[in-house]
Amino acid sequence: MSAAPPSAGAGSGASAAAAPGATPATAPAGPALEVRKLVRELGAGDMRTRILHELELSIPYGELVAITGASGSGKSTLLYLLGALDRPTSGEVFIEGQATSSLDDLARGKLRAERLGFVFQFHFLLPELTAVENVMVPMLRRKDLSAGDARQRAEAAMQSLGISELLSRRPTQLSGGQQQRVSIARAIAHGPRILLADEPTGNLDSAAGEAVIALFTRFVEQDGMTVVMVTHEPTFAARAHREIRLRDGHIVETINRR
Amino acid sequence: MRAQLFIAWRQLWHRKLLNGIAVLGVMLGVLTLVAMTGIMRGFQTKFLDTILQISPHVIVFDTRLGETRAIVDLLLDEPAPAAGSVAAPRLTHVVRQTSTDRQSRIVRPRETVAAIASLGGVAAVSPLVVGNAVASSGAKELPVELRGIDPVVQDKVTPLRDRVVAGSFSDLGGAVDGAIVGAGLADLLGVHVGDNLTCASGRGQRVILRVVATFETGVAALDKGRIYVPTRLAQTVLGRGDAIDRIELRLTRPDDAPAVAARLEALFGYNAESWQETNASILGVFDQQNMITGLIIGAVLLVGGFGILSIQVMIVLEKRRDIALLKAVGYSSRNVLSIFLLQGATVAVFGAALGAGLGHLALNFMRTIKSASGMGYSKPSTFAIYERPLVYVLAFSFAVGIGLLASFVPAWRASRVEPVDVLRGS
Repeated sequence: MSAAPPSAGAGSGASAAAAPGATPATAPAGPALEVRKLVRELGAGDMRTRILHELELSIPYGELVAITGASGSGKSTLLYLLGALDRPTSGEVFIEGQATSSLDDLARGKLRAERLGFVFQFHFLLPELTAVENVMVPMLRRKDLSAGDARQRAEAAMQSLGISELLSRRPTQLSGGQQQRVSIARAIAHGPRILLADEPTGNLDSAAGEAVIALFTRFVEQDGMTVVMVTHEPTFAARAHREIRLRDGHIVETINRR
Repeated sequence: MRAQLFIAWRQLWHRKLLNGIAVLGVMLGVLTLVAMTGIMRGFQTKFLDTILQISPHVIVFDTRLGETRAIVDLLLDEPAPAAGSVAAPRLTHVVRQTSTDRQSRIVRPRETVAAIASLGGVAAVSPLVVGNAVASSGAKELPVELRGIDPVVQDKVTPLRDRVVAGSFSDLGGAVDGAIVGAGLADLLGVHVGDNLTCASGRGQRVILRVVATFETGVAALDKGRIYVPTRLAQTVLGRGDAIDRIELRLTRPDDAPAVAARLEALFGYNAESWQETNASILGVFDQQNMITGLIIGAVLLVGGFGILSIQVMIVLEKRRDIALLKAVGYSSRNVLSIFLLQGATVAVFGAALGAGLGHLALNFMRTIKSASGMGYSKPSTFAIYERPLVYVLAFSFAVGIGLLASFVPAWRASRVEPVDVLRGS
């Protein structure tokens, strides 16, 4: 089994859907992500607060989407729901056509492991592991990949991001930008078609942030991935194909830049 | 399981010091278990082995059950003295029956012995005459227990031949005045094989005994106070006529002794006592020893378990973000649970292996130490050590069980971490 992360030059293999972990394949019909009448409430009883109000959203393959808005507008909540990390109060989230609200924890975990990649503001690298081992972590639990294959894919992903010299470094030996690149390598190494990023540049200087956005753009344009990122940075949001602005749990504006 | 093993091992190794302390805790528990069990059970086993070698499995005494009444009982039936009369105060309490209260002897001993020998589970039967006498040699005079035996059959019940340390056991059968004397008693009297000593009791005749052998059982009370002579000679010294005092049995299965004793009582009407009943007090002490040992071992193992628990709780609290990340990238609650359970089990296995190894070394060392007192034996001896694979299997099972139990609570808490809660918080 060949290791080929999105931008490692093998991004158009048609076998990705049949062989989990392969590079983003030809996109299936329908949207990558779809949201219908999505409601998320937190708290209980009188303290119940509605975070998201019956959102409707459809994100096709090959699009870079930025979700923006003030703090507390529901950006991250929407992203967690799109990534099946959270359950909606009502409504439905479809990931590659798969309804997620009825799935149990095990199935949701499998869905995340095989179809999605996550990048967080804080890199969340495990301090006990080297960079390449961190990249391998999501793939190690998959029974269809040997440890050797996982390692090969992890190394290829890091090479494609230009950080192959960091393979055996510990997270504490990396700069903020390098840590974020390693976490991006972890998100793409198993070849997902959808990448979800929560404030991926929030903890980086402008140069490192710019480099991250450049990578996302490359994933979308070269590999046909769908990237949805939550950001506060207007300059980075302006690089997205579509910007969705949230306010108090409502989509108040959608800007298409294509 | 590959991923969980990998992550568990790396996280353990990353906190070598903390987990090393937890390993030490378990190691101490297992070491205590192996060493204390080895020493305590070793002592008990050696003691019981000795008891079973030198004592009969069942003794049939000459006391009739339900028929013979003690003198004190008869006195109790006397009518109370009239008021004002000069009479001994009426007995109101019977403490115990004494030997002088006994009125009976084992009747038709030969037939009784043959009947007992024909019972299932009985390996050997020996009739005896037993009584107290005084042995003297020169100016030295010591109280002794005189036992009249048929050496051939008695040797089958309480193997005496192997205990002879000087002289010949066989010579007892061929000599009418022969005596096998405890080695300690011979030392105290200053006699050796071939020497004479005098033996007398209050009721019989004074006789001269010739020492044909000396024996050593390892139990000081016997070695310093017992003399074996032919049955006829003991009857003469003790003034017993043709009577015998007791019948001793050896069984094919010593554990059956209580049942056999009960059956003998039912069949022949004489009081019969199993070796467990005879040694009830020491067996009771052993039970208490075992209970105390168990409590100590349990406490030490629990401390080891708490070590794992506290360290795991700390690690889980510290690693909430990592746990959230693992769950976000697809690890299930069960995967996370197993990561932390594996850590607890690994600590326990390493601790148990180290403890078992050290326990084995400690027992080997104890084997080389001579106990000065001989634990009540007449001569100093090395510690008796009980070491069986089962002890190690049990120690391992306990340690791993406690390790898993101790790590379950923190592992379960880890598995309950909701990634969204942590991601929002961060």
